[in-house]
Amino acid sequence: MKTKSPFIKIDKISMWYPQKSKNLFMSIREERKWIKAVDQVSIELERGEILGVIGESGCGKSTLGKVLARLENPTNGDVYIDSVSTKELMKKDTKKFRRMVQIVFQNPFDTFTPRDTIEQILLRPLKIHGIGKTNAERREICIKALESGGLRPADEIMKRYSHELSGGQLQRISILRSMLFEPKFIIADEPVSMLDVSVRSEIINMLLTLSKEKNATVIFISHDIALTRYVSDKIAVMYLGKVVEYGDSDTIINNPKHPYTQALISNCSSIDPDEQREIIKIQGEPPTPVNPGPGCYFASRCFKASKECFQKYPAATEVSEGHIVACDRWY
Amino acid sequence: MNQLLEIKDFSVTYVNKSKKVYAVKNVNLKINKGDSLGIVGESGSGKSTLAMALLRLLPEKNTQITGKANFIGKDLVQLNQKELKNIRWNELAVVFQKSMNALSPVHRIGPQIEDIYRVHKPNASKEEIFSRITYLLRLVNLSERVYTLYPHELSGGMLQRVSIAISLVHNPKLLIMDEATTALDVVTQGQILDEIVKMEQTLDVTRIMITHDISVVAASCNKIAVMYAGEFMEIGYVKDVLKNPKHPYTRGLLSSFPSLKGEKLKLTGISGYLPNLSVKQEGCIFAPRCQQATEKCKQEKPLGVEMNENTVWCHLYSSGGELINEDQKPVYKD
Amino acid sequence: MLSVKKNTYATFKVINGDIQLKLGVFGILFLLLVGILSPILAPLDPYHYGQDILNGLGVNGHLLGTNHLGQDVFSMIIYGVRTSLMVAVISALISAVLGILIGGIAGYFGGKLDLIVSECINAFMMVPTFFLILLVIALFDNSITNVMIVIGLTTWPSNAKLIRAQALSLRERTFVKSAITMGESKTQILFKYIIPNGIFPVLANTTIGMSNAILTEAGLSFLGLGDPNVISWGQMIFMGKQYITSAWWIATFAGVAIVLTVTVFYLLGDGLNHVLNPKHSNGKGGE
Repeated sequence: MKTKSPFIKIDKISMWYPQKSKNLFMSIREERKWIKAVDQVSIELERGEILGVIGESGCGKSTLGKVLARLENPTNGDVYIDSVSTKELMKKDTKKFRRMVQIVFQNPFDTFTPRDTIEQILLRPLKIHGIGKTNAERREICIKALESGGLRPADEIMKRYSHELSGGQLQRISILRSMLFEPKFIIADEPVSMLDVSVRSEIINMLLTLSKEKNATVIFISHDIALTRYVSDKIAVMYLGKVVEYGDSDTIINNPKHPYTQALISNCSSIDPDEQREIIKIQGEPPTPVNPGPGCYFASRCFKASKECFQKYPAATEVSEGHIVACDRWY
Repeated sequence: MNQLLEIKDFSVTYVNKSKKVYAVKNVNLKINKGDSLGIVGESGSGKSTLAMALLRLLPEKNTQITGKANFIGKDLVQLNQKELKNIRWNELAVVFQKSMNALSPVHRIGPQIEDIYRVHKPNASKEEIFSRITYLLRLVNLSERVYTLYPHELSGGMLQRVSIAISLVHNPKLLIMDEATTALDVVTQGQILDEIVKMEQTLDVTRIMITHDISVVAASCNKIAVMYAGEFMEIGYVKDVLKNPKHPYTRGLLSSFPSLKGEKLKLTGISGYLPNLSVKQEGCIFAPRCQQATEKCKQEKPLGVEMNENTVWCHLYSSGGELINEDQKPVYKD
Repeated sequence: MLSVKKNTYATFKVINGDIQLKLGVFGILFLLLVGILSPILAPLDPYHYGQDILNGLGVNGHLLGTNHLGQDVFSMIIYGVRTSLMVAVISALISAVLGILIGGIAGYFGGKLDLIVSECINAFMMVPTFFLILLVIALFDNSITNVMIVIGLTTWPSNAKLIRAQALSLRERTFVKSAITMGESKTQILFKYIIPNGIFPVLANTTIGMSNAILTEAGLSFLGLGDPNVISWGQMIFMGKQYITSAWWIATFAGVAIVLTVTVFYLLGDGLNHVLNPKHSNGKGGE
């Protein structure tokens, strides 16, 4: 047991959506069905640590991001930042929470309202949070931020509308705007998946530098496994709303223990044509997470599954220091 | 020769009331039988335009296509609609990223494919069609059961497999896949790529793979063509180009991809932005973003330099393929 | 300054591009001008009951003749523009403001509130509006103010439906989510992001609503429920119908005026729909 409590503690967070029944009369008789988009996810993170979350589409990684940023209220569970419950904080001081937790979205082309110039977009949050006393002072802050992010001439860019800028520029502005608040916790939800390959690295490097500077903890959500390994210290693999494997990023990539992770990584093509791929085939595609269980959610597609796997959801086992696998047959 | 497709001086220009956009500029390309060529490039590089122009699927009203595209003795640029109809699907098939959306939601998969089959072979018997289709479905790793299912009963990956099977019904000589696996999940994509490669060993089909993801090409092609702003930068065998990239753009692109298991090198990327394609540019199109650009690059368009079956369009290399200036050795920034 | 200039130019270009919009805009400008300048344009005071009763076209200097009370028809028609425009604008404003607020709130907040409001909207849409208006006017005073308010109060549901649909999709857009994470309050988001970005279909609908308002007012007047103290085209038709065989000009020209005005509003609305509807715009903006 650790004596010091972790900087960020995600405590059994869940996000369930009620499933709308197709038949009105059936809905009365049947018990309510839930889509468990995120189901009891618990992760602990230190200050300045970067966690990568990978998984296929529909595994709940984006919902996890939204819940952590409180764009949606979780059905259950809580997140503690520096031992402060964010649930309480949201009730007491929403603005303070917003300054502490920031999210970078996937689609930079849609992150800013099309009706405002970049200047208006940047000044507004500063004004809301009372950063800077006068408009001139706030403008100064914005210009400094833009120039630090390599957006020059900042004056010129501030006059533009969002549709007059490229995706790379917009995503940089989005990151810089989040950083204006000096957040402690940043959620990056597929921040580069909509950008061209040649500008991706600049955005990633900028995100890494800035978060290191501010000593912020980052959750990097992505379906690009190679990129996630590059970015993060720890990786969590999600399948149907649950974290199936968690550990140091190199351990997860080079020595995955959960059958799902193994399949996922074996199917990930590399740019190195010499790298031999031994593809592990798994049947079908992830089912929708409607009342899954009672056994392991992956059992129906798993190549290692036994009878027991269908009966009880496997407990998380620590297979080596800090490497946790939710599978009974990992060995 | 075993040449299947030869593109010569091929240009595509979008013409609009107020301006012209030069989407593809004087490209040359040869594809041999049995090749699998991956065309990679970022958005705006003209890779999709090139494919659409070859298939003659662009609206004729506001596009100009010039040059030659010799496909088994016929010039694709000159064909009229009737001749095109004969070629499409028979000799030349295509799979798009959203091909699966083309399936009718109110008909079962099987009868839909039958209809397509009958377009070119109206007198085919039911048994003949059935055996052909089930053969193809097995080829893309689908069970025969799919024949009687509706599209909404299949997942995205399965539907895209059906699309691939449909594209193969008439045994085309050339298959163009335009971002066909992009929308799919890692696991599904990996499996489909694997199936495609295996399938080619049994079928006699040449493939052009258009994608923005180099790793897809690395996994499924033997040749690669790197495209930027409507021009080819480098064409060659995958194992040569990816191991030892010659063109500064290819190098930049590769350094933007982190390796999955190898060392964690710092990602560098390429600074700057795509040039305005509505202005004709003197010199190398990549020069404004190139770290190694010289005066010559800004004034003169580089000619293709051949070096052991690979071609590079760059002034850094002499016609023999050696570096002209030893100081200009490939620079790997760190 | 620069951006204002640029925007004006862009707006002009858009108007020029769509023939319906062009006709509509010019028509409205013309009507406004006539409305403002009616005291100058009208040769006689329309409220003046003159000696010339039921004069024909051009007789005694009455361009379009006179009615049974000796009023000059041409002057009445010119003054009628004022009434029609007033009814159109004020009732449409009431309807737009109500619709936007109710629909916007329902769509953005969603949940149970949305369910209740949606049902209210549906209920309102099922009510035969014209008869409701008839009832209200018949029960209360038939002043033009009442007519305008009642028209406004009965036509908001279509606007509410439109903005609700917009709000439902807008609240899922990234820029709304990013505004939330920037710490903006719900009211701020509703008024700063949802409504301004979703208002265009309502604008187009409101213009068409304006022409309907003109028609409704004319209809009420025709049934004798108009405001007797105001000159309106509907009333002219109502009064002229008794003389239709002997003095056809009283009703006819008022009818023509209504048709033209309604057409102008329709053209404007349709044109706006073409230009503002993202389906018709040519690839500008996001997906």
